[in-house]
Amino acid sequence: MNESVLNELAEPVSRVISKPETEDSLNIEYTATVGQPLCDDAKFSTKNVDVYYADNQAIHDVTLDIGANEVIALIGPSGCGKSTYLRTLNRMNDTIDICRVEGQILLDGKDIYRKKQDPVLLRARVGMVFQKPNPFPKSIYDNVAYGPKIHGLTRNKSELDDLVEEALIKAGLFQEVKDRLHAPGTGLSGGQQQRLCIARTIAVQPEVILMDEPASALDPIATAKIEELINELKENFTIVIVTHSMQQAARVSQRTAYFHMGRLIEVGETDQIFTNPAHDLTEKYITGRFG
Amino acid sequence: MNNTDIVRQSLKKRYLKEQIFKFMGMFSIATAILFLLILLVDITTKAMPAFSQTKIALPINLDAEKLGLDANSSTESMMNADFRLVIRAALLEQFPEVTKRKAKRELYSLTSMGAEFQLRDMVIEDPSLIGQTKTIEFMADDDVDAVIKGSIDRTLPESDRRVKDQKLSWIESLEKSGQISTGFNWNFFSNGDSREPEMAGIKGAVLGSLFTLLVTLALSFPVAVAAAIYLEEFAPKNRFIDFIEININNLAAVPSIVFGLLGLAVFINFFSMPRSAPLVGGIVLSLMTLPTIIIASRSAIKAVPPSLREAALGLGASKMQSVFHHVLPAALPGILTGTIIGMAQALGETAPLLMIGMVAFIVDIPQSAVDPSTVLPIQVYLWADSPERGFLAKTSAAILVLLFFLVAMNAIAIYLRKKFEKKW
Amino acid sequence: MKISALIFLLLVFAAFSYFMARQKITTAYRQHKQKTKILTLPKYFGYVAALCSLLPALIVLFFLEAVEEPYITSEISTYITANEINASEDLDLYLNDIKGADTPEKIAALSDEKQVVYQRYHEIETVANRTITAIVLSISILLVIWGLRKINTDTPARKVFEKIIEGILLLAASIAIMTTVGIVFSVLFESTRFFGEVPIMSFMFGTEWSPQTAIRADQVGSSAAFGAVPLFVGTMLISFIALLVSVPFGLMSAIYLSEYASSTVRSVTKPILEILAGIPTVVYGFFAALTVAPFIRELGESMGMSVASESALAAGLVMGIMIIPFVSSLSDDVLSAVPQSLREGSLGLGATRSETIVKVLIPAALPGIVGGVLLAASRAIGETMIVVMAAGLAANLTVNPLEAVTTVTVQIVTLLTGDQEFDSAKTLAAFALGLMLFVTTLILNVIALHVVRKYREQYE
Repeated sequence: MNESVLNELAEPVSRVISKPETEDSLNIEYTATVGQPLCDDAKFSTKNVDVYYADNQAIHDVTLDIGANEVIALIGPSGCGKSTYLRTLNRMNDTIDICRVEGQILLDGKDIYRKKQDPVLLRARVGMVFQKPNPFPKSIYDNVAYGPKIHGLTRNKSELDDLVEEALIKAGLFQEVKDRLHAPGTGLSGGQQQRLCIARTIAVQPEVILMDEPASALDPIATAKIEELINELKENFTIVIVTHSMQQAARVSQRTAYFHMGRLIEVGETDQIFTNPAHDLTEKYITGRFG
Repeated sequence: MNNTDIVRQSLKKRYLKEQIFKFMGMFSIATAILFLLILLVDITTKAMPAFSQTKIALPINLDAEKLGLDANSSTESMMNADFRLVIRAALLEQFPEVTKRKAKRELYSLTSMGAEFQLRDMVIEDPSLIGQTKTIEFMADDDVDAVIKGSIDRTLPESDRRVKDQKLSWIESLEKSGQISTGFNWNFFSNGDSREPEMAGIKGAVLGSLFTLLVTLALSFPVAVAAAIYLEEFAPKNRFIDFIEININNLAAVPSIVFGLLGLAVFINFFSMPRSAPLVGGIVLSLMTLPTIIIASRSAIKAVPPSLREAALGLGASKMQSVFHHVLPAALPGILTGTIIGMAQALGETAPLLMIGMVAFIVDIPQSAVDPSTVLPIQVYLWADSPERGFLAKTSAAILVLLFFLVAMNAIAIYLRKKFEKKW
Repeated sequence: MKISALIFLLLVFAAFSYFMARQKITTAYRQHKQKTKILTLPKYFGYVAALCSLLPALIVLFFLEAVEEPYITSEISTYITANEINASEDLDLYLNDIKGADTPEKIAALSDEKQVVYQRYHEIETVANRTITAIVLSISILLVIWGLRKINTDTPARKVFEKIIEGILLLAASIAIMTTVGIVFSVLFESTRFFGEVPIMSFMFGTEWSPQTAIRADQVGSSAAFGAVPLFVGTMLISFIALLVSVPFGLMSAIYLSEYASSTVRSVTKPILEILAGIPTVVYGFFAALTVAPFIRELGESMGMSVASESALAAGLVMGIMIIPFVSSLSDDVLSAVPQSLREGSLGLGATRSETIVKVLIPAALPGIVGGVLLAASRAIGETMIVVMAAGLAANLTVNPLEAVTTVTVQIVTLLTGDQEFDSAKTLAAFALGLMLFVTTLILNVIALHVVRKYREQYE
């Protein structure tokens, strides 16, 4: 089951590695991360994280804090490891046999890779929205109700109904689908499907939502709606968003982290990163010299 | 109470369910594997006795007078001579106390019915033996065989035992004098079928299977490859082609016995082809394995990258040339693998061959694809139906031989796949 | 002339044609001195000329050979009737005696009367044989001459040759259709003859099955009954037991292998399951009859139940285990077609693996699984050797798995493996049963293949 994910994740890494001339021409000196990777009110605190796919190192020594109720954007060229890093935060990488994570990742001060940590509980607390909308082939209602049902969050049908409605309202989808809650979720448009996936995630009421390029498969109008939604969600959730689009990062996030070749190059306030990047590489990426 | 606590509370129960579910999966697989093990062990233990054969050494006086032969007798007169007489004389000499007719008959049944033929063939080969006395090892009867191998319990009371006390005492006295020996049963591999378990062998069935498979291969391989090439490379998109594809997929799932009915009605009754012949069996089996080989060949052809075709076409080769010169050689390992798997399927098939009369009792070893013969799986079926005890071991041994061929064929297929596996 | 010799001669003509045509074109090229233009290779002209003489002659030959036998039989029958020769015994047997006399000793062994018939048979056969030889050879020779005259450098030889090859390839692909047509015709034709003797209603709905027809007309007390309901019920009972074993076990095995097992376990276990699938059914039959059935009987007796020595349970159980790998590999295909994103979606919400499988994967894969179960059912219904060896012959109308029942396939084998004349109601009944079997499995297969295809398209 894991091969497809593996290809998706591992291939870009090897591709970058196999093109050393890019590295040379950029004349990189790998130094410690520039900017402020740490913050006072950290929800997630990652220290010296390394990730390997078999013998292939995909993430090198990343140290980064993610503050409570902030939106942090992870940007960087394809294969830079930002998706891999994101997936370590709720241990989605566990589904890949050959993936190994080293270093420390603390959620509210506790290591999520400790033996006693239960990945199921972790994922209930740290939800995830994927690159491509992936609604279950069930009705819209059942899609949203699925999480609360398996976790036993509600006691009866009317509570569940309320929870589903609330989640759909929060995801800005309720008005569009209230007449057809029992129609299949796969029948919605791409943007609606993605908002359904977000609704599904927030119905579990997680503390953190990880978003892996949530708008990359959508058209601009749908993308705008998703961004609007992220702006509303940041009131209640901590959001980590991986994005390909620098504009999107600029629009939705407070902080931005720039990854390159599996290393965290620079972290800072989004405004500062986009107007006055401290690191040479960040500047080159933002000005579109490579990517 | 916040959500995390609710989730945490539910976890214990959910993990129990998870464990139960996972256990059910392991249990399913373990059951299947355990069954396979039991089956293999059961058959192997049952088969073991068939690979050894008990022999009785007797000093035989090839009395020229008794046989009515001398060293210059013609082969024909040797064929007609009664060699039972000298064997019986040898047995009587061994146990001179036996005088009653009934007891004598019991005594004579110590050696196999085949003993006289064994002696006859020896004499024909070397006529100078006539007149001499020589110790010769004869095949023992299956009852003696069973006593020696322990499948008849000597400690049972006489009334429950197949071999009575008298016979048992003879056997034991022969044992004491060292005249009984057991050796590897070559006859099992060199004889045809027989009504006597100790004489029955699988050579006829193995050759029958071989002829049948050769016919199957000769027919199904070229036709299947041609069909696969057509469907992958030349077929236009139309209803007729769709119909062909539907037919191929359906034929792959039609019960094999229905192919037997087809063979009986069309080849035997309508075209008056010979019954029980590997030729007809091969035709029926090739119709049955065609879909398998076509489907495998198509996927092998599909796996050849378009760049190879384009390269040939770009040089001015015709479509036909690009297919036969480039695509087909590249797809050949995959096609061969599929073909061997189809052949293995044909080798194990029984039901359709029952329909076309390959179930007859045939002693002669077939010499060609039109001689009446049987095949390995049907030999298994026939022996499994025989009431004699000795056939139980023979059946299991025949199954082991059949499985050996199947394993060998599959090993070749795996080897081919590994060796020629290409990543395009 | 013997058919093999005739074919050899045709091949010689074709080879001659090939060389002559090639020679003709090579010479023509040399005379034209067309050096600049790319020319069709001379060998293609040779191929075309050779095939042009060979193929029509072969087609005619096979057609004539196919009708020769029926023609001779009908001629000789007419002769027998016309001369009022007493063929009181069966006509087929009578003819077999005569046709079988292929050595002088055998001919001499025939009765005087048969000698006369044999002479006549020999005459007819010789004439027919000579006619065929003459027709085929003249066609071949005429085509060789015509082809060699017609062929010239303007003939689009390569195109024609490739068209012919394409035609041959199409013919090979069409064999699948011919096989299906052959099956349908053979079972349908014999079945209609059967239904001419036994009303279709009493076959389909009759509850008594005892196909022993009277051997002599004056025999009493053994009239045949062809009510197939006990067979249908027996078939369904055994198939049901088989599915009861194979579906849960096969599905769970597939789930475990694709969702839980490490790649090492998978790489060891999958081939083992394939071995299970590769064992010939006759081996399972032997095992069911000699090991499983006695075991079940002893087990039942130790619990105070009476179990038939050829119980439906034993056959069904072993058949079920035989089908496990089949169900497992179909389910595996179906489950792996479910997109990875659905698994991640569920896991990302904090579902456990089993929750993901039961609540997301299986519902998503349900159409595919149902298709797989239908295919497995079709396998179980058509399975022959296990039931022939381990289930009984007695047509009991019961759904008790501990009793002996018989199935459609068992009866087909029993009816056709004895020394039977072909036209008796008994042998024809086997074809009627074959028709039922074919139609049932065909319907199951068509539905299953359709469902599975639709399912796959959904995720492509």
